[in-house]
Amino acid sequence: MVELQNVSVTYSGGVDALNNVSLKINDGDFAFVVGSSGAGKSTMIKLLLKEIDATSGTVTVNGYNLGKLKKRKIPEFRRTLGFVFQDFRLIPSMTVYENIAFVLRVLDAPLKYIRKRVPYVISLVGLHAKTNSYPDELSGGEKQRVAIARALVNDPQLIIADEPTGNIDPELSYEIVELLKGINDQGTTILMVTHEHDLVRHFGGRIINITNGEIVYDEIVTGTNAEVLPEVELAQAMENAARPRPQYAMPEDIGENNVPYVDDVIAAITSTATEQGGAEK
Amino acid sequence: MKISGIKYLANQGIENIWKNKMMAFATFCVLLISLLLVGCSVLFYINMNSMILGLGNQNEVAVYVETDTPQERVDEIGEQLRNMDNIGSVTYISKKEAYERMQSQISQGKEIFDYIDDYQFMPDGFSVTVVDNEQLRATVEAITRIENIQSADSSPQVAEFLRELRRVVTLIAGAAIIALAAVSMIMISNTTKASVFSRREEIQIMKYVGATNAFIRTPFFVEGLVTGFFSGAGAFFITWAIYRSVYNILMAQGMLINAFGAGSIVPFADIRLYCGLAYLAVGSLVGAFGSVISTRKHLDV
Ligand SMILES: Nc1ncnc2c1ncn2[C@@H]1O[C@H](COP(=O)(O)OP(=O)(O)O)[C@@H](O)[C@H]1O
Ligand SMILES: [Mg+2]
Repeated sequence: MVELQNVSVTYSGGVDALNNVSLKINDGDFAFVVGSSGAGKSTMIKLLLKEIDATSGTVTVNGYNLGKLKKRKIPEFRRTLGFVFQDFRLIPSMTVYENIAFVLRVLDAPLKYIRKRVPYVISLVGLHAKTNSYPDELSGGEKQRVAIARALVNDPQLIIADEPTGNIDPELSYEIVELLKGINDQGTTILMVTHEHDLVRHFGGRIINITNGEIVYDEIVTGTNAEVLPEVELAQAMENAARPRPQYAMPEDIGENNVPYVDDVIAAITSTATEQGGAEK
Repeated sequence: MKISGIKYLANQGIENIWKNKMMAFATFCVLLISLLLVGCSVLFYINMNSMILGLGNQNEVAVYVETDTPQERVDEIGEQLRNMDNIGSVTYISKKEAYERMQSQISQGKEIFDYIDDYQFMPDGFSVTVVDNEQLRATVEAITRIENIQSADSSPQVAEFLRELRRVVTLIAGAAIIALAAVSMIMISNTTKASVFSRREEIQIMKYVGATNAFIRTPFFVEGLVTGFFSGAGAFFITWAIYRSVYNILMAQGMLINAFGAGSIVPFADIRLYCGLAYLAVGSLVGAFGSVISTRKHLDV
């Protein structure tokens, strides 16, 4: 669970990156965070990873009050979540296997478990053939799939993704989001930052728009193509992985009839952004 | 932490040396050169000191017993001398030996003394060396106070000079060693910093996945330890080779040996063990801690 209460962030240079933001993401949710460049999206992600601290307000992630979290407790907290970044952040001197296994090493997991779990998540993201490759030998899409496998290997409650599709071909973007959706179906909360409107339009779900450091929109919308299923192979793997986790459910206050269509939302977002002079395609 | 976890981290450290060959080699070289510079200065100082002490020991005290002292009393005096403080060796010089010595020390002594076949006019004596040359004067005075001692001669000027020399050598060598050690620390710290810097992203990623500082540092510690150990070993063998050749060259110069106390140069065999252990210990520790300390700046994410 992620909760921001009246959170503001002012960088040392005097930039107000977030301004009195309140937000709650429940367990099992899948939320897109959209907004133009410089709006404060990454700042929010940094807050959630406790890379930076809020200037004011409280940030609670997976039950940890980050403002009060002691430095030596940070590792413990970070083990409860997974992250995926635009720039992949794989360790170049480690193979795909080692990059993913490292997370479990950190947890001091039994070797036997590591040897079973790592190949399993590698097969989930469809990279079995690349197990012993180094990041340099992979395409952008493959690298990001490794990053996703790493994010989910320790079965986190929450995966945070900052523009995970930013550095890969648009066609492959869908694959990445489908992968994240599949993980979400197993009960993991996912918070994904993107500025690719096509993706958001396609998948729908909860959409949070940040503009100039403020949340200007936060609704659940139906995707234009929500019925598109992940690749068969992937679906099969996910089924095998089935764990008893609460399924993603829509909040009651949004009934069947008043679900806004995503295109309206996008139109609204785009017009706001244009007004702000920071439109992005 | 499980044994397998510790083994993993140690393995990571060793693998990292291989994965970062260039940086590891640079660290190895810098450590090796630093160890050599400091090590050789220390050895040089040890030998200077030993040579000066050697010269001091050649500075014997000639003790003369009154001429008509009975032999039993002479033996007693010998015993008394041996029991005194700060006495190194006591060698009895009989009248006959003293006579022969005098003959050989004076040029044409043979001719001059040849017609005297009675050496009874010579006093009995002792050649005494002191342990601490600095206290020579006090010791000589104490010897003079013994009954039946005619005189005890030494050259306090030599002792004074040697004391001064030792002080100067200690000061210069000390300053040089400290300066070299300081320069080495700077070089080593820059090298390890560069080595760690090239892997700062790796460290940050590890922090993001929830690795503790200790977990991240352990491989760096092992890496530095192993690199430093090899630098120490390298420095040891190079020192050994240099030391042996210098030693042999000096020993071949008989004149030097006597004139400058080169006879007191410490044979390598006497210090091999300490030298080796010191190199390995200092190399490993400096390598390990240099590497660990350099990670600090990058761990704060
Ligand atoms: N480390 C920083 N120091 C100062 N200002 C920053 C820093 N990081 C981001 N900013 C500023 O904060 C604002 C929000 O940035 P960011 O959260 O990265 O935006 P987004 O991810 O939405 O593009 C921008 O104006 C940016 O210039
Ligand atoms: Mg950003």
